[in-house]
Amino acid sequence: MSSDTPSMGASKRASATSGLRNSQTARPVSPHTPQARSGNPSFASSTSPSSSFRSEDDAIIFEIGARWLRAGFEGSSAPVCVVGFGPEDSRRVGDYRGWIQGSTGAGRLPQSVDMDEWTRVYELWRPDSREVDLGLVEDKIERAFRETYNQFLLTDAGTSRLVLVLPSLMPHPLLSSLLSTLFSRWRFPSVTLLSSATMSATAAGLRSALVVDIGWAETTATAIYEYREMTTKRTTRSMKHLMQEMGLLLTGLASDGSQDPDTANRISVGFAYCEEVVSRFAWCKPQAKKDTSSDELNRKLSIPSPANPEEEYMEVPFSHLAEPAEKVLFAPGVEEHELDDEEKSLPLLVYNSLLSLCPDARGTCMSRIVFVGGGSRIPGLRRRVLKEVSLLIDRHGWSPIRGKALERQRQRLEELRLSARKASSPPETPKSNGEAPSTNDEPADPSKEVPEIDFVEQKLRRQNKDIPVPIQGVLREVESLGPWAGASLTTSLKIRGMVEIEREKFLQHGLAGATRDIDHPVPDRRSGLRSGGDRSSWTLAGWA
Amino acid sequence: MSRPFPYTYISCPCADTPVPDPARKRRSRESPQKSPQKPPTGRVDTDQDKKLSVKEEQQGEDEDEEQTFDPRSPRSNFSLYPPEQLLYCEECHQIKCPRCITEEIVSWYCPSCLFETPSSMVRGDGNRCGRNCFNCPVCTAPLAVSTIENATGNGPQQGPWVLSCGYCLWTTLDIGIKFDKPTNIRSQLQKMTDSTPPATHDRSRQASRNFGDLKHPLSSFASVDEQSSARERDGEQAAPKDDPAAPPMGTDARFAALKNFYRTQIAETSNSPNDHLSSEFGFSSPGALNRLMSLYTSSSRLSGLYGGSKKPKSKPPVMREALTASEGLQVALENNETDMIARLQSPECGWDGMASIDQRATQSPDARFVDDLLPLPVLLRTKRAKRCKSCKHILVKPESKPQSTRFRIRLIALSYIPLPTLRPLAPSSSSALPAMAPTSDLNSLPPLRPIHVLLTLKNHMFDPVRITLATPPVTPGHVATKVTVLSPQFEIGANSDVWDEALQGASAPLTSDSRSAALRGVPEAGKVWDKGRNWTTVVLEVVPGTLPGSSAEGGDGNPNTETNDEDILAVAASKQDEDVLEIPVFVHMDWDADAQLDQQNVGKGSKPDDKVTRELAYWMVLGVGRIQASL
Repeated sequence: MSSDTPSMGASKRASATSGLRNSQTARPVSPHTPQARSGNPSFASSTSPSSSFRSEDDAIIFEIGARWLRAGFEGSSAPVCVVGFGPEDSRRVGDYRGWIQGSTGAGRLPQSVDMDEWTRVYELWRPDSREVDLGLVEDKIERAFRETYNQFLLTDAGTSRLVLVLPSLMPHPLLSSLLSTLFSRWRFPSVTLLSSATMSATAAGLRSALVVDIGWAETTATAIYEYREMTTKRTTRSMKHLMQEMGLLLTGLASDGSQDPDTANRISVGFAYCEEVVSRFAWCKPQAKKDTSSDELNRKLSIPSPANPEEEYMEVPFSHLAEPAEKVLFAPGVEEHELDDEEKSLPLLVYNSLLSLCPDARGTCMSRIVFVGGGSRIPGLRRRVLKEVSLLIDRHGWSPIRGKALERQRQRLEELRLSARKASSPPETPKSNGEAPSTNDEPADPSKEVPEIDFVEQKLRRQNKDIPVPIQGVLREVESLGPWAGASLTTSLKIRGMVEIEREKFLQHGLAGATRDIDHPVPDRRSGLRSGGDRSSWTLAGWA
Repeated sequence: MSRPFPYTYISCPCADTPVPDPARKRRSRESPQKSPQKPPTGRVDTDQDKKLSVKEEQQGEDEDEEQTFDPRSPRSNFSLYPPEQLLYCEECHQIKCPRCITEEIVSWYCPSCLFETPSSMVRGDGNRCGRNCFNCPVCTAPLAVSTIENATGNGPQQGPWVLSCGYCLWTTLDIGIKFDKPTNIRSQLQKMTDSTPPATHDRSRQASRNFGDLKHPLSSFASVDEQSSARERDGEQAAPKDDPAAPPMGTDARFAALKNFYRTQIAETSNSPNDHLSSEFGFSSPGALNRLMSLYTSSSRLSGLYGGSKKPKSKPPVMREALTASEGLQVALENNETDMIARLQSPECGWDGMASIDQRATQSPDARFVDDLLPLPVLLRTKRAKRCKSCKHILVKPESKPQSTRFRIRLIALSYIPLPTLRPLAPSSSSALPAMAPTSDLNSLPPLRPIHVLLTLKNHMFDPVRITLATPPVTPGHVATKVTVLSPQFEIGANSDVWDEALQGASAPLTSDSRSAALRGVPEAGKVWDKGRNWTTVVLEVVPGTLPGSSAEGGDGNPNTETNDEDILAVAASKQDEDVLEIPVFVHMDWDADAQLDQQNVGKGSKPDDKVTRELAYWMVLGVGRIQASL
């Protein structure tokens, strides 16, 4: 994924692989005359493309996920609307049952439903495109966009540029469906794709970050270094499972625990009701330890009874509501080696993605952890993840090597050293004993180590005294305004996306028209002469 | 289903033309992907599967007409419309649904006060009413402006004002907001919400002013570096002081801070004067002059001459990240989440103290508790003109005044296609057939008992229309209902002036019902049931199939019997509307229309008497009723 990575501003770094092309381009710094552009006045001003050629409308930004769609105008801090996908949105026109009987899923289901079926109708797509009816997705997208424009955006659809914030990993059939729906339905002049992880980092004011997106189908941890996506790791422990787990919990409450085994994975409470419970009261214990004060454990909360949410209330111990999040996202009591690669717990996911970075990037990213996505709203979750990650770091350091052999070897070394020390200086033994494991087993933990400043470093520091030393090497969480706001920021600064798909070109060839060459040179918009060749091609960058 | 039985839906023909994906053909050539449209429930039996794959092969060719429209497929929900909601394009001679039109906004107005908002103000007001129209954030009912003293009967001009909801009795007092004046509440509210955390607000204000000065394009570029570095140092010093104690900024303030930060960064890091964002500032300003001077002085050879104490910088300034809260950085607070958990637990919060998903959807993203909800200015609405997507012909043009409900142009489809209505044929007492089920209750049709329904098509055009109806002999889906149209081909008379009819034979339509019931008696194949001036009624014989898994499932050759238990379970679990009996009917109509001028010129298909034969074909879905689970 390192390709789809944006770079902004830093002229040195504006490489071809960056996901954003800047409207100002890299220039030599020292003396230079304005280059021979004066002969071509029409291109002289084209460096700020939107201002001079035509007064362009504000771009419209859509963030699309499997469950929600956010839409709004560039430059605003929050989307105008947030629209969900659900069975109510796939009804026929003129079908008002949702209004007559109350929306589906608010009450109890007539019969219990399999977990997967339960969530399916509420998803726009799933990551596995074999299970997706693309035609249906197109229909839903078309309707969602049309209604968003008509109800919330209140502008003519298709007149202004469209910016889509998408996860950096999109199945091509889906992406193609999405784009062809938009292009064939409306006359969008161009569609810009921005990667949601990078935009989350931007909206946190960061250039490097570890963006943990606790989304619907999966949780991704994307390490971003100088706006480049370095690695992405993902796990299926996500909001969908959390919702299902909460559904099971509520089903259990509704039936008073008298579950027969063949309905073990079936849910009988409504999805909307369950989602309400999750959004209101799902929480996560900030500590893994069990023995919270009994006062807290016993505290009851009255929620609408899962058996009959419309009328009755039911007392539920508050601590119960923390269980789904704990079980789904942290997998307590399960050894690491028992988990599949795709279902690591959240702390492991964060740790592993940090581990896979090179030390420099790791140090930078670990003190810039950004949580986004629906799961990041669960109170207590983020702190808990960070705590467990720091535990993992304490335990393993930054070494991927585990196992008994290593342990044995370490002990042998330790003994060797201890005996050596004992021989030489017995009085120091107790002290070194305590320190020994941490000093020689792994190449010191950067978060613990006191930074040792050598003379080169000192000199460098003295030289650029103005440039503040970035925080590095400690676990720190930074709040982000979310990918939508990031895209809004980026777009309003007139920074252009690397992936800008123009209408005519897409309609000719579709996605296949994109240049496969990821290192495709960024079309240089200044040089009017060469641009002929460059303009004919476009790239999908990271989405290719 | 949605509407009371019986009902009719019309499928817009645009559903037959899939979204043209330019890459799809190519992709399928590269790797013939196998049925991505296969519903994963596994309820597709084999021949349907075959049909699907056939369909895929034929995609792009115009053989779609060969397929039966399936009202049950999830996609059909997006192409079926009640007949009255469809439009008709006179240029393309085609039905137009909301998917095959483009819309243009004529005017914006507030549905509450019916004031038109000029287009220039719409965006500034955030697409919401800028006056006193508010909706309750809790229950979405409109809020009224009232005084606190109003209850005691004092003068209406007195005292602080609040917004109160007449439905759920929520008032702005609940969130501690009072207004000084009863007018211009929106701006008052804006001021209040902006300054709720006063410290934060001031700080961000100040910061943004700082930034504003800095990023001012007139400020000299040569000195920007020093300035910024100085400011950075300031920021560094200031940051540790105010960071830990500072309450987190609001979303807006943070966004503004971030935006300013990026602006300055971009301005600082871009060195070439012409590349600067604000290139519209020419060389007329002192800043630009300064910039030019520094351009020359910084050149290595001249720097000594002009006493340039500054060494030419060896590397370009690198854009950095936000470092302080005033730049938009916000480090997560330690106790933020524990506080929230404590608040969740506290008895005064409870279920109703938390905002629901619906309530939160329209609020700021940070809102979590009911106390965080603010009154919502009413969302504006639009009047939109509609054009045909393919030929840009205007189909609907409303008058722009919000108060007026008139349309200048409105081409609704029902003026062109016959209006279908459906009703069950009540078994007349004289012809009591033993086989006939009592059709009184359409919500519980007994399976395997034939019923007759009357389909009336009413023509609104001033030309007589020839109609051909076609149905699949067995409805698609799991419930195999047999359908026969007893007289599939018929004519409908032209619509004429209503007065003509009234003058000619006023009694005819009135008596027709009784006549049909009494005289017609038994529906016959090949015969039109009834006919009027511009309408014709035909009979459909319907034998409802049995629901899968029901006790009545018999072995009378239904494909049902082949379904295995797993299928039945899946169906029963997933499809709530499986028992709804819907009949897809293919309607083909042709008529001789007056040729229009352009067609006369072309001479294409024009008959000697200036008539042109037009045809139109579409699928229609008749919702007959619900099938009982058992006999």
